[in-house]
Amino acid sequence: MTVDQLFNWLNTLVPAMENSGLLLVVAILIPCLALFLVVAVNAIVMVYAERKVSAFMQDRMGPMGQGVGLHAGKWGLLQTVADALKLLTKEDIIPEKADKFLFILAPFVIFIGAFVAIIAVPFGETVIVADFNIGIFYILAMGSLGVIGLILAGWSSNNKWSLYGGMRSAAQIVSYEIPAGLSLIVVIMLTETLSMQGIIQYQEGGMFNWIIFSNPFAFVAFFIYFISVVAETNRTPFDIPEAESELVGGFHTEYSGMRWSFFFLSEYANMLVVSAVGAAGFLGGWHSPIPGYFDSNGWGVFWMLSKIVFLIFVMMWFRWTFPRLRVDQLMNICWKVFLPISLINIFGVGFWTLIFG
Amino acid sequence: MAKYFRDIWESVSTMMTGMGITWMHMVRIKKNNVTLQYPEEKWPRPERNIGFDHGNYNVIRSRLHVDIDDCIGCLKCERICPVQCIKIETEKAPVRGEDIQDIGHIGVTSNSSRKALVVTRFDIDMTECCYCNLCTYPCPEECIYMTGGPNAHKHPIDYEFSEFDRSDLIYRFAKPGTKEGMEKMLNEDGAES
Amino acid sequence: MGVVHGEEMVLNIGPQHPSTHGVLRLKVKTDGEIISEITPVIGYLHRCFEKHCENVTYDQVIPYTDRCDYLAAMANNFGYVVAVEELMELKVPEKVEYIRVIMAEFQRIASHLLALGVYGLDIGAFTPFLFMLRDRERILDMFEMTCGARLLYNYMWVGGVSHDLPKGFVETAFQFLDYFEPQIEEYNNLLTHNKIFVERTADIGVLPPEVAISYGVSGPNLRASGVQWDLRRNSPYSIYDKFEFDVPVGDGGKGTLGDCWDRYYVRMLEVRESVKILRQALAQMPKDGDVHQALPKKIRPPKGSIYSRTETPRGDLGFYIESDGSPIPSRVKMRSPAFTALAVLGELAGGWMMSDVISILGSLDIVLGEIDR
Repeated sequence: MTVDQLFNWLNTLVPAMENSGLLLVVAILIPCLALFLVVAVNAIVMVYAERKVSAFMQDRMGPMGQGVGLHAGKWGLLQTVADALKLLTKEDIIPEKADKFLFILAPFVIFIGAFVAIIAVPFGETVIVADFNIGIFYILAMGSLGVIGLILAGWSSNNKWSLYGGMRSAAQIVSYEIPAGLSLIVVIMLTETLSMQGIIQYQEGGMFNWIIFSNPFAFVAFFIYFISVVAETNRTPFDIPEAESELVGGFHTEYSGMRWSFFFLSEYANMLVVSAVGAAGFLGGWHSPIPGYFDSNGWGVFWMLSKIVFLIFVMMWFRWTFPRLRVDQLMNICWKVFLPISLINIFGVGFWTLIFG
Repeated sequence: MAKYFRDIWESVSTMMTGMGITWMHMVRIKKNNVTLQYPEEKWPRPERNIGFDHGNYNVIRSRLHVDIDDCIGCLKCERICPVQCIKIETEKAPVRGEDIQDIGHIGVTSNSSRKALVVTRFDIDMTECCYCNLCTYPCPEECIYMTGGPNAHKHPIDYEFSEFDRSDLIYRFAKPGTKEGMEKMLNEDGAES
Repeated sequence: MGVVHGEEMVLNIGPQHPSTHGVLRLKVKTDGEIISEITPVIGYLHRCFEKHCENVTYDQVIPYTDRCDYLAAMANNFGYVVAVEELMELKVPEKVEYIRVIMAEFQRIASHLLALGVYGLDIGAFTPFLFMLRDRERILDMFEMTCGARLLYNYMWVGGVSHDLPKGFVETAFQFLDYFEPQIEEYNNLLTHNKIFVERTADIGVLPPEVAISYGVSGPNLRASGVQWDLRRNSPYSIYDKFEFDVPVGDGGKGTLGDCWDRYYVRMLEVRESVKILRQALAQMPKDGDVHQALPKKIRPPKGSIYSRTETPRGDLGFYIESDGSPIPSRVKMRSPAFTALAVLGELAGGWMMSDVISILGSLDIVLGEIDR
């Protein structure tokens, strides 16, 4: 469902205003609205899932209730709705000594970074807002926009903890972009395209055509990519920018209410984006694992979503199992382990395609 | 170089072990769950208790309660309290061991000791109470006790006594009107003689 | 390559901070992430414990000792009553001694579990913390069954204990120990040997034995530095000489001797030793006997003074009591092990990074109630 198709459809629907600017704006706004819904619903579902996953791993039941109106609904299903209402009605505090303009701007910058990236994420054979010919490059570029927001938030709060958090996140995200990007280069080398749909179409024909199983170097590349994006989205064991036991709340120490929830929203949106790229780039996207079965359009969306959900679940699994790394160890892993291995991967894949491809 | 790869292997293997443990806990949540859905299920946990009966408890530290009809006003609990949260005032009864109808005073305790004093004030400030249970031991009539547990037949357990106003946490156990009634009675006696 | 020195920034960690274990303030001089100087500021939880004791009778002091080290209240009760009994030259029945040892060892497990779990939380692992609290909860259930309280017990009295063990306690205790021992293995797999955890704790905050001794550090923190010093073994009080147990010391298993990992692991080993003592004590305990038999009618120690010390989960807890022959002590002084442990922090933490300071502070297992008293 690209914007072009929408525009053409609107043109036939309202012939009087054919090719006018207004229709173009409408054609752009419709997918934006849909995307915003996707982000919001994603956050609500993910927060609930995170609560439940963490609870189950810790021998608890998590949010529970005895039906609508009492506590949080059956199995606590309404817990996130209640949370959202609470955040919306909370007092919005801006510290007196904060840089007010940047302080207000920061959550939006982060959110826009995550939000804009979703445009190029394919959820099915036709379910994509815009299939750029540089899709994967675009997502990487937009994904790293968030770091500006984090630094802004850390700096403008005028709080030492926030400053620490902002500085740490800058170092961390910039470093981990590199192994993540280098791992995706493996994908690009194999598929010889930057378009997301092109990458997915390359992996047609069952699970052994997926890039992750295509050769051993790609297999390693997937894990490096995945761990790097966990670091990029600031999740445990790489959550040093917020590190609640050290930096109180890191860059969002001073934020409250809805502004704070924007950080949260964009964290989950980011998780969605990076998992989608992982699923599309390595796990066959919307292709079914068995060729020929469940391969229709609707099933495509199902396969894509289930792969994304699986990757997000693994991220949650990490978070509730591992301790947190120290900032220099984080850098060590990035520069001394991931970077060399991903460079070797690129050479390896090159030779592999030369010899076997 | 060997150390480099050993470190990587160690990291991967120990982390997989940890992830295995959390996974096993997640899939066995039905069996492993230890929490209580509080307002619906209340302590003591009915099926997941740790192997002994509620009645076997020696005592349960919950809210203090006084059976004022049994209190002889000996002030032992007031004296032992380390934080002085018990305040007792007594008045000499006109006749030892006899009921005074007007103020609902009962002259003989359930242990059949005859009271010489009328307790006109028995306040326990539960905001100050440190739940040390010291006041319950010296009581000769066992009329001050912590609710629930072995005392459940005297008073059911009460650990949910939060209030909106702090002054509501001062429990006044003396029967309302005792003080005024006593004063009035003494004044009348004085006027007659 | 030279090190670039920027302007130093003074950072206040606390009094409201998630990992200062109470209301502690650390004045920290930082250069970027590196800490150059660290000064603990205490006193935010000062409640005049010692002065208070001069105004209440001997038995009324016991609830106050609970509130010093609120994570090991039984051990504090134990230390105080042992001191007063020594002052009065009181002999307590054997059953009472056994009950006290059982309670103190259960308290040691409970306290160590909290310390280990919270340490994991400081490092960032949430799940082990809740697993350990889950098992600590069961110990607290047993305490509740015995004396009605879960945290501040007021259980041990001068000359006895407040209640006999309830019906079914011994069976429950054995049941718990059988359940608990395999759990230790799970903690080890989940946290102790986890590579990230080892990286965060090994070789960090090394406390050499000489420094530990000169600062008067005691308990697991001292033993982690390789010094075999345990009052239960070196000057046995109560009936600790009847039990067989090892005194675990640090061996630098994952790094240097006396690092954070050692301090963590010594506590884990001590939990095992406590289980060993508990099994012996529960099996040997005399079945009958009145726990109130030796309670003195009036606690009025003769004129004189006493300094007595016991081994709490945090180390060497000393009580100095001076009596003038009245039912009210004329002076009670408490030597708290956590205080010396905090004192050594400045020595340990210089030159490490922000995250390491939290890790070192957590490994010392301090309780602010005991430091400020």
